[in-house]
Amino acid sequence: MKQLLTPKKLAIRVGSALLLLAAVMFVCSMIGTETVSLKAVFTGGGTEASINPDYVIFFRIRLPRIILAGLVGAALACAGVVFQVLLRNPLADPYILGISSGAGLGAIIAVISGFNWTLWGRSPIAVFAFSGALGTIWLVWFIGRLTGKFHVTGLLLAGVVVNAFFSALMMFLTSIAKSDQVYATIFWLMGNMKEGDFLVLWIAAGCVVGGIVALFYIGPQLNALSFGADDARSMGVNVAGTRIIAFGIAAGITAVSVSLSGLIGFVGLVVPHGVRLVLGPDHRQLLPLSGIAGAIFLVIADTLARVIVAPAQLPVGVVTAIVGGPLFLILLVKYSRKVNWLK
Amino acid sequence: MSDIIEIENLSFSYTSETTILKDMSFSIRPGTFVAIAGPNGAGKSSLLNLMCRALKPKSGRIRVDAVAIESYSTQALAAKVAVVRQELVPVFGFTVIETVLMARTPYYGSMGFESKADREIANEALQATDTARFASRPLTSLSSGERQRVFIARALAQNSPIMLLDEPTNFLDLKHQVGVYDLLKAAQVEKGKTIVAVTHDINLAGQYCDEILLLGADSSYHIGKTKTVLVPERIKEIFDIDVFAGRIGREEFFIPLGKFAKNHKKTDKGLKNI
Repeated sequence: MKQLLTPKKLAIRVGSALLLLAAVMFVCSMIGTETVSLKAVFTGGGTEASINPDYVIFFRIRLPRIILAGLVGAALACAGVVFQVLLRNPLADPYILGISSGAGLGAIIAVISGFNWTLWGRSPIAVFAFSGALGTIWLVWFIGRLTGKFHVTGLLLAGVVVNAFFSALMMFLTSIAKSDQVYATIFWLMGNMKEGDFLVLWIAAGCVVGGIVALFYIGPQLNALSFGADDARSMGVNVAGTRIIAFGIAAGITAVSVSLSGLIGFVGLVVPHGVRLVLGPDHRQLLPLSGIAGAIFLVIADTLARVIVAPAQLPVGVVTAIVGGPLFLILLVKYSRKVNWLK
Repeated sequence: MSDIIEIENLSFSYTSETTILKDMSFSIRPGTFVAIAGPNGAGKSSLLNLMCRALKPKSGRIRVDAVAIESYSTQALAAKVAVVRQELVPVFGFTVIETVLMARTPYYGSMGFESKADREIANEALQATDTARFASRPLTSLSSGERQRVFIARALAQNSPIMLLDEPTNFLDLKHQVGVYDLLKAAQVEKGKTIVAVTHDINLAGQYCDEILLLGADSSYHIGKTKTVLVPERIKEIFDIDVFAGRIGREEFFIPLGKFAKNHKKTDKGLKNI
């Protein structure tokens, strides 16, 4: 039974993936419009009179942004894994139940109202997007429950309808907004990494990493749930509890990432499938490795977004789709011969 | 020995207008192989789902091992009752061994991994069902017959005294139908399992099962030794068909006769031949 996943094998794989992530983050932190000398960075921040520009660029600008990209990538990839298994639908992604439109609606309301305050260095857009995302997922869950106890089709339809309704509201608000407000909204919708406050970053990191660790612990239950609720239950799995925990965490980390960086598509769909194609569907491995792969993917994508049209910047959501699409197709063709469950 | 499954005045329906099961009482002794047969819509699968608590009865009681079924925790019930449902393919490509090991999920350690004992149990189930040779293949690459054996292996790995199966020979060719029943019989004889299988094949049921529960479309039911329950008159009545009954050695077989069967005159009593 050498093909079975063992704790040792998993630890080695997660460990090497983390090393790779660290290496990618390091390399990406060296890339940018300004050349940073590592030697200069570690001489310290300098005095108030003569600040050390290398230090400031590295620690205040690049590193927070790279960490943010990593967190968002990990959150979206893991949320994608969870929604795919809970809905037993390979097409599911973190936004499938309408989180995107809810967050978008929140964002445009914030832009139009012209609020001018900040919360922990975050604009009202982030706060409204976060509330919009969580509110929407709650609404979809609630409507889904009315159609029966976790009725997958009911839940999906509720998601589709709520999504369409909120998108319509969003378009209505966009059409009556002023052009500079429209621009701000669209830019947000395309997904962007913004250097932010370290406090926010740590809170987000706590939420995302904690969420992923918790998801790892219900990995075996999620495996059983791949066979459907009835089967999982007759194998002795607490289905309702597993679903609530998985759903809550996935929605939570998606809302956090949306509020930090807008809507970044493709990561939550492509990364879980890529990892599953290469390493199989076992959630104990799929969750941590999708998280790390998602982080690597988004860090690289964001670096490209920073430098391709420098000194201007591309929205990272554009890069993820342009890079992720072909990458996924290559994986799909290469591995679907090996595993024929796609049929 | 006391009965392992007791059903008392059980009634069930999906809507208030229709009745599927009505005031049904019977019990199953440990180590018996029981078939549930009857026309479509008679409530065979519903009864099976009631017996594993996937459905709730409208009224009446179900006891498993002398304890009311509703007082079990999910995990405790899984330790008593394993279920093999009708053919289903998971969305993602788990391998055979991964699938069988999932039966041990409630017993995994705190890190979410199986113990050595769990692996041995799974291996034993693979051996018993002759699925070990494709243990590392994904489920989706197997034929229906192979896949059905994997799900039976998973049910065996649950190490429960009771196994419920919903049409285990659906979609299988003759060889695999017999193969599945051989497997179940072996589990009954060698491991002392109580097996309840919903089936459309009264001939296989007659060969392999000790008892049969015939459900009628009108909520009537007959339970008893297969030999006494399966008589041409009753089959004719329950399934509303004309039937040819014949004998090979000590086994009795039934063949349905259609309107267009050649040289066949519809009779009031089933034809008895040979």
